[in-house]
Amino acid sequence: MSACVGVLKRRLGALCPAGFASPLQPLRCPGGGRWESSTQTGETLRPLEGVRVLDLTRVLAGPFASMILGDLGAQVIKVERPGAGDDTRAWGPPFVASESAYFLSVNRNKKSIAVDLKHPRGAQIVQQLAGVCDVLLENYVPGKLRQMGLGYEQLSGLNPRLIYCSITGYGQTGPHAQSPGYDSIASAVSGMMHITGPEGGDPVRPGVAMTDLATGLYAHGAVMAALLQRQKTGRGVHIDCNLLSSQVSCLSHIAANYLNARKEARRWGTAHESIVPYQGFKTKDGHIVVAAGNEKQFVRVCQVMELMELTEEPKYKTNKLRVENRKQLLHTLSQRFLQETTADWLKKFKGSGVPIGPINSIHEVFSEPQVQRFISAASLQAAQHPLL
Amino acid sequence: MSACVGVLKRRLGALCPAGFASPLQPLRCPGGGRWESSTQTGETLRPLEGVRVLDLTRVLAGPFASMILGDLGAQVIKVERPGAGDDTRAWGPPFVASESAYFLSVNRNKKSIAVDLKHPRGAQIVQQLAGVCDVLLENYVPGKLRQMGLGYEQLSGLNPRLIYCSITGYGQTGPHAQSPGYDSIASAVSGMMHITGPEGGDPVRPGVAMTDLATGLYAHGAVMAALLQRQKTGRGVHIDCNLLSSQVSCLSHIAANYLNARKEARRWGTAHESIVPYQGFKTKDGHIVVAAGNEKQFVRVCQVMELMELTEEPKYKTNKLRVENRKQLLHTLSQRFLQETTADWLKKFKGSGVPIGPINSIHEVFSEPQVKHNRLVQEMNHPTAGRIAVVGPAVHFSSFSPSGPTPPPLIGQHTVEVLRDVLSYSDDIIETLLESKAVVQNKVS
Repeated sequence: MSACVGVLKRRLGALCPAGFASPLQPLRCPGGGRWESSTQTGETLRPLEGVRVLDLTRVLAGPFASMILGDLGAQVIKVERPGAGDDTRAWGPPFVASESAYFLSVNRNKKSIAVDLKHPRGAQIVQQLAGVCDVLLENYVPGKLRQMGLGYEQLSGLNPRLIYCSITGYGQTGPHAQSPGYDSIASAVSGMMHITGPEGGDPVRPGVAMTDLATGLYAHGAVMAALLQRQKTGRGVHIDCNLLSSQVSCLSHIAANYLNARKEARRWGTAHESIVPYQGFKTKDGHIVVAAGNEKQFVRVCQVMELMELTEEPKYKTNKLRVENRKQLLHTLSQRFLQETTADWLKKFKGSGVPIGPINSIHEVFSEPQVQRFISAASLQAAQHPLL
Repeated sequence: MSACVGVLKRRLGALCPAGFASPLQPLRCPGGGRWESSTQTGETLRPLEGVRVLDLTRVLAGPFASMILGDLGAQVIKVERPGAGDDTRAWGPPFVASESAYFLSVNRNKKSIAVDLKHPRGAQIVQQLAGVCDVLLENYVPGKLRQMGLGYEQLSGLNPRLIYCSITGYGQTGPHAQSPGYDSIASAVSGMMHITGPEGGDPVRPGVAMTDLATGLYAHGAVMAALLQRQKTGRGVHIDCNLLSSQVSCLSHIAANYLNARKEARRWGTAHESIVPYQGFKTKDGHIVVAAGNEKQFVRVCQVMELMELTEEPKYKTNKLRVENRKQLLHTLSQRFLQETTADWLKKFKGSGVPIGPINSIHEVFSEPQVKHNRLVQEMNHPTAGRIAVVGPAVHFSSFSPSGPTPPPLIGQHTVEVLRDVLSYSDDIIETLLESKAVVQNKVS
């Protein structure tokens, strides 16, 4: 420990302006510190206990990633500008007292320090923190942090073990690198909106910022990959995560269809291009989704819906034929689905082996027994918020 | 190494039926083996070099996760049933020769062994592989693998260091645990469809299976978290990833709005509930998305669109007011956007500081200079399909480059190779197994 502190003191001494005494006491070295004073046994140790994350990100992608790292046991220090802090604190209604629900949703398990990065002593504090952290997460437009002395080359010079994960809209370099990242724009540019929406209708975006969230998920994994790599190399790394690359990668087979067969994608509503019936239907009081992927399941659907005559129709005999004659078949099924409620259909289909489920509102999601299991577990661990 | 092999031999001896000699030669212990014989220097070492993944998953969520682990350097052994293999091999058109584009898109960097899990020797081979792998990934309905002797308790009994990651539709236990996981159903049940679709219109699903993909992303991280944890505890773990939990977690603020304020969500098309203008607009020849998040940007929008009179309107002065009077404002803007092409609007808005972008078709995506710059297209040679292209890794690390992926395997392409090199089976044993149809080797290796 003492060699480590010695190195750190020398490095921080180099950082501090002349005459400014280093405020440091014997420090914990990166990766060796513990936040809580209680001892964790080996059996209850969380995977990232002892890992310290310096989180300069704001809004969604970055905070989502650091939240998951915090859930896994990392110590997350969230750096915010004094005053407003993370923009999302103000994103409401709804608010719960002074806190926006938005901010509350992605910022548990973090400690907040309010630092003015434009103040030279503020930037210095962040440099010093980077010296004793394992991971730095940031989502500034490339170059901005470097101007403040907080770029990758600068901080890894001070702490070669630092894992520096940058999250941007389009990447660290390239023609769009200077464009700030917005989920809806990235969702548009990356093709996600083009493929989402009603058949024959206009594009829409996913109802929650899946591009931001996918990027945060990629980032949380990349950070852990870098931690694993550092154990062999002894060095940190600069990670480039961005909304565009994350969403384009998630196009997976849609992209492969184009890249290999020049097949353009289109919007299908809830339907499947090559399987019928495999989509949502309106019911008397809502919507339901059926996924009948093969002949056996199609026959079951007809049984449950009391439309056995459809199984006799030659033009519906195989999936290929059902796809060719989809309009007519779907019309017949749609008319029948309208006649009963969602709950009644679910009852009728129970035990049939046909994959089926309701299109739940958010209220209905949190009434699902399968979801409630996870909510009660979380509530038991919920921390008391100081202001609520 | 020898103590490890000794333990392994005793455990495998316990597995083998009486009279069946253990085929094992000195093995690599989990985490210590290397696929390639070339030595990697510290600088180009990928993060998961030396980690071996036994991948029993099929379709999308699991294969997507194991593909990313393979991109990071792990050795991925994909276990497929003889004959059809992974269902998605048949999901086309389009096909590239015999391979579906779907299968090609999420299966690079893996070796395929064709094993009949219902054959007792087949199950045994998978048990033995689990004994020498670090990670097992599976997406069977809970209980199915246990029936074959391949459940978590059984395999971790043989290999206490095994990280066993289960991916299902709804979780390992609970009222829906036995329901197979389908992305469109999970997307419906989890609330994702309810919030996606045109304003005043019907719900739709995201155009690609984001629920499956988010689950795969959660899983790839969870596996690495477990690897990190194992270094401290010396033990593996059972991980429960499922489509429902992944998508509900991704509801983030939408969920928090409900859980804290009982605020139900609704569909907004491309629009934003609390920021105007922040949405897509039809242009003369396509669609464009503008995200004017504050007063300064709104004024810029009006400047560029030559609608300065809007900045004088009291009812559009602040975002709050624009939200209250959205219908009228959006109508005015929509009419104006229709008058020019997407390309012209992008030109006009360039340098304005207003976030803006085209709604790209897939063709347009792959014409974007930034997409090319980010090296998102990975090309490789496939033994029967020839030159193929898929979307490459999303994340770049300064410490290594994502070069040289191996092509997605043919079904059972590496059966003999894996039995010989990973389990050290002799040629005779391999021959017997092939004859018994417990395993199948593709004619291409």
